[in-house]
Amino acid sequence: MIPLRIKVEANADQPFVVRLRSFEADAWEQRTEQLNPFDAALERVGPEGADYVGEGGAIRILGIDPSKVNGDVLLVNPRRGTADRLIRSASHHNTFLVTERCDQVCLMCSQPPKKHHVDLFPHFETAALLSPEGATIGISGGEPTLFKEQLFRFLERVLEARPDLSIHVLTNAQHFEEVDRQAMGRIDQGRVVWGIPLYSRDPGVHDEIVGKAGAHVRVLENLAVMCRLGAQVELRTVLMRPNADGLPDLARFIVSALPFIRTWAVMQMENIGFGRMNWKALFYDSSKAFDVVGRSIDLVRSRGIDALLYNFPLCTVPEPYRHLAPATISDWKRSYREECDGCSLKARCGGFFEWHPANHGYSNLGAIQ
Amino acid sequence: MKKRLFAIPSLLAAGFLPANAHALPAKPTLDGGVGKAKTLFDIFKLDHLYTLAGHRSHSSHSSHSSHRSSTGGYSYIPPAPSQPAPLYSAPSTSTPTYQAPAIAPTPAPLKMLPGNAYKFKEIVQQVQFALLAFGYYSGEIDGEMNPELRAGLQRMQADYSLKVTGTITPETLTALRIEAR
Repeated sequence: MIPLRIKVEANADQPFVVRLRSFEADAWEQRTEQLNPFDAALERVGPEGADYVGEGGAIRILGIDPSKVNGDVLLVNPRRGTADRLIRSASHHNTFLVTERCDQVCLMCSQPPKKHHVDLFPHFETAALLSPEGATIGISGGEPTLFKEQLFRFLERVLEARPDLSIHVLTNAQHFEEVDRQAMGRIDQGRVVWGIPLYSRDPGVHDEIVGKAGAHVRVLENLAVMCRLGAQVELRTVLMRPNADGLPDLARFIVSALPFIRTWAVMQMENIGFGRMNWKALFYDSSKAFDVVGRSIDLVRSRGIDALLYNFPLCTVPEPYRHLAPATISDWKRSYREECDGCSLKARCGGFFEWHPANHGYSNLGAIQ
Repeated sequence: MKKRLFAIPSLLAAGFLPANAHALPAKPTLDGGVGKAKTLFDIFKLDHLYTLAGHRSHSSHSSHSSHRSSTGGYSYIPPAPSQPAPLYSAPSTSTPTYQAPAIAPTPAPLKMLPGNAYKFKEIVQQVQFALLAFGYYSGEIDGEMNPELRAGLQRMQADYSLKVTGTITPETLTALRIEAR
């Protein structure tokens, strides 16, 4: 597993953002690039750790080789002696968790909400501006739009300052208002994708899943707002027992009422958080009963809307649909199982969540030759 | 012009209002007033760069966003203010206090040189091989930096009166006769 938090020693009172430059990698390049004030360059490496020195002073990284963190952007907590790798430069899976608060309590939530909130937007903004060229940054939570003013400002400023970046925001779309259209209009919507969950056409089923009465109505209203903004929407539907049978209905609803979306993502569950607690009641074995899924995405695709399968191990998907199942499980939480040994599709398969139970629930699974 | 011809029928097809609707492009005026309010036409004729960007850096699948499952990457909780500050034991070399710079308006992006990682691996392999030949390393020749290689570098640098860094410096490469190209 790739560590997201590493040990550091730094003498400072307040958390700070720093970018590590292990110039070894550029040893043969001319060091023409000016060091940014937020950069710290590798000075020396020994058994006691790796020392970096920047404009702000010195910090020491422990337990990970500098070659693995070159270009990484850290949020250092000097008191705890830890640093979060906000940006891992070698990864496509960089996500900022902007809050742990949420106003919905979804049955399968992989990251159950907490009351606690610390505003770290200034640090996130700095980190985003230090990211590698052409990066895509994820924004998640909790519910990021609970702090929509900071969020909109973040998006507007970062995208303006860095024309090469793209941002993907996960939101329950409960908090957009007509008055936000001005602030949202200032954001370059061409480089933001909004991932918005919709679980059913039936308001009762949707509201039950997200644990909030009236949520369905609100999502639909705000999808209309997103449409008028020309925002790119990735509609996300986690496949579960309570909504599996209604999937074809939802597909018909999408093609008739939501044809402006960019992608419809049907997703498998993640076995952690509430998802683990409710696994037995919720997990839908799509390897055994793929039919509802297949029919639904066939319909949506036939209308020219992109439909994809997220978090589906390739062997659980019938062959004609495998090209629709990208490797979506992030590098740092991906693992493969014994059954995967010798599978010819392993290289392009997202595998399983690290915490997927040994008794995985898929009745059809195994290496594909 | 072609784009325009294409865009209007697709708006109609998407169920937007017919010809007299406010979706039509506003006539350009000389006072520059057009740019102020975006019409639906303007909004939907946008080229969505994102899709292209997503494909550019990717070989096998359709979007960057598809890389994300729903959980956040990490969470960061600063210590509660009431907690007593843990004793900070300074590193053996004296560390000056880290003073975070004031937030600059636009820090420069880190340019990723394509193929850099691969090149680096090759260099590391050559260094491993050279240190093996000189008796400073006995591990795998795998192109990965590891503690043993770091220690070997330090010993070699000390023995040859180079700056002892434990890193692959240009000086070290020269001493090992490795041409970094």
